[in-house]
Amino acid sequence: MKVLAFSDSKTILAQIISRFRDDAEVHALTHDTEFTAKFGAAKTIGMKGDILSGSVAKAIEKMQSDEGYDLIAIGSTVTGREVAGMLATMLSLHAVSEVNSVNLDGGKITTSRFFYGGKSLLTEESGAKIAVLAPGIAEAKESPGKTEVSEIQLEPSAVRIVSKTDKKGGSVDIEKAQIIVSVGRGLGKKENLEKVEPFAKAVHGEIAGSRPVCLDYGWLSEDRQVGLSGKKVQPKLYIALGISGQIQHIAGMRNSKLVIAVNKDKSAPIFEEADYGIVGDLFDVIAKLKEKVAQ
Amino acid sequence: MPYNVIVLIKQIPDIDQMKTNPGTGEPLLQNVPLRMENLSKNAVEAAVRIKEKNGGKVTVLCFGTDKSTSVMKEAYAMGADEGYLITGYPGNYPSVTAKALASKIKEIPHDLVILGNQSADSYTGLLPGSISAILGEPLLGNAVDIKLQEKQVSVVSALEDNNLEITAEMPAIVSVAQEINEPRLPPVLQIMAAGRKPINQSAASDLQVPEIKTLSNRAPKSDRKRIVFEDPAKGIEEVSKVIREAIR
Ligand SMILES: Cc1cc2nc3c(=O)[nH]c(=O)nc-3n(C[C@H](O)[C@H](O)[C@H](O)COP(=O)(O)OP(=O)(O)OC[C@H]3O[C@@H](n4cnc5c(N)ncnc54)[C@H](O)[C@@H]3O)c2cc1C
Ligand SMILES: Nc1ncnc2c1ncn2[C@@H]1O[C@H](COP(=O)(O)O)[C@@H](O)[C@H]1O
Repeated sequence: MKVLAFSDSKTILAQIISRFRDDAEVHALTHDTEFTAKFGAAKTIGMKGDILSGSVAKAIEKMQSDEGYDLIAIGSTVTGREVAGMLATMLSLHAVSEVNSVNLDGGKITTSRFFYGGKSLLTEESGAKIAVLAPGIAEAKESPGKTEVSEIQLEPSAVRIVSKTDKKGGSVDIEKAQIIVSVGRGLGKKENLEKVEPFAKAVHGEIAGSRPVCLDYGWLSEDRQVGLSGKKVQPKLYIALGISGQIQHIAGMRNSKLVIAVNKDKSAPIFEEADYGIVGDLFDVIAKLKEKVAQ
Repeated sequence: MPYNVIVLIKQIPDIDQMKTNPGTGEPLLQNVPLRMENLSKNAVEAAVRIKEKNGGKVTVLCFGTDKSTSVMKEAYAMGADEGYLITGYPGNYPSVTAKALASKIKEIPHDLVILGNQSADSYTGLLPGSISAILGEPLLGNAVDIKLQEKQVSVVSALEDNNLEITAEMPAIVSVAQEINEPRLPPVLQIMAAGRKPINQSAASDLQVPEIKTLSNRAPKSDRKRIVFEDPAKGIEEVSKVIREAIR
């Protein structure tokens, strides 16, 4: 069995290699050979040139005709999903997307993914040869195995990069946090984080947030986003402040052990997914909670 | 200069109102109202704003069923000029959807095709790439900002670790992120006028639906306590004890 692994996120790529390297000959397509080589793929192929979906899809199309992979496993990022969509068309192969768990069985593949925005978990069997894998498909573990390193040049794309602005990522890993204080649009403005931080400190929690807070407004860095398209967390305690509780958010925190929600709207759906809820202004509530907890 | 913009809009069950069977956990879809998918709305809004600024025309396309005339009307009310409904939607098969939509797009002169980056119910995110590959037009993905200048489209593409400003020659495909805009709520008068506007309807032919076996489709279990305090003072009293216990 031969698997081609690609992701523009080296973290997800390491997870994909770790997932398949014991069952298959894995070839890894990466922009960082030095990092990727540590995870035990049989071959590590470095890409030179801009990582744009059109260029990567063309490179994989050629590799597929040379190598005939049984599965093309792609990390779920914006670029990854674009590449998968292009390849499904270019190679006339069936693709499954946003997969949380995968099993290969002969020519068949069994995959699980959320559906209806996260309301249900869908398990399917199909003949898919392209799988887009969500972050966390396996734990990334380094391997002493030897890897053969080579390089390919990507073709230029019809799309040109004008500029690039890095997002300041933090150093936290909220997936491992035991206590999370998560803020939503109810925070109102970035400056109000100052009012949440002392509370988070008092409960020894990491701060995370809903998608608008992390992506739209950038009040928090994107690696703190919880949800369907963000991190899936499972802390002992998840405290949701000013988060309405849309299903896409719930999909990221439903494995929390204990959930506490504060929202000024008593009909907010977050209360359906909470063990304890307080209806009220989050700033009032956390100021008082902080005092009580410290007592 | 004026632009011809095609928008791809999907109709979905209102997932916020959807319940699951308390016994089996299976989704209950009967009687769940249908509505326009979230990012499709952002896509319509982006297109209508382009028209308002530069002139041109907004054409919406939906691969749906007989029941999908309502989303077409919703798009008309938001400012779309013309709509094509392709019926025969067999469910979530991105390759089938991409082909059905692309064959119609080919018949319509356009500068841009705008769609959502990932739809809110199935969120496969495969359509942007597939449509781009079928049409052979460049894809500018997950846009949080779109700028047009002559025949050039530039977008700010929100990736996981950075924001890329990218540019390409039109015709091109742009997928949008939820963060690009706040879709408008059309006034009643516009909604009424939209109801009278004709919809072009045709049936999809030659659908090649891949074989997929559903092994299960169930809601993950939730057994939360759901103890909600409407009196904050009481809530703070009780919840602080719970927190103290939990963080010990
Ligand atoms: C494909 C797709 C993927 C998505 N992925 C994610 C994801 O990964 N993560 C995610 O979070 N979302 C995701 N979303 C977005 C999701 O649908 C919601 O839009 C989002 O979760 C809403 O964020 P929010 O709860 O912070 O904001 P809102 O829904 O605006 O809620 C704000 C809440 O704050 C309350 N509030 C306001 N002021 C106060 C106050 N002073 N005190 C107390 N309460 C107050 C309000 O009552 C309200 O309930 C996704 C959407 C799509 C379509
Ligand atoms: N059946 C459909 N008809 C029209 N547009 C669609 C359809 N399905 C998906 N789309 C568009 O494609 C986007 C991404 O969908 P997906 O790739 O399925 O996650 C959506 O936000 C819509 O803009």
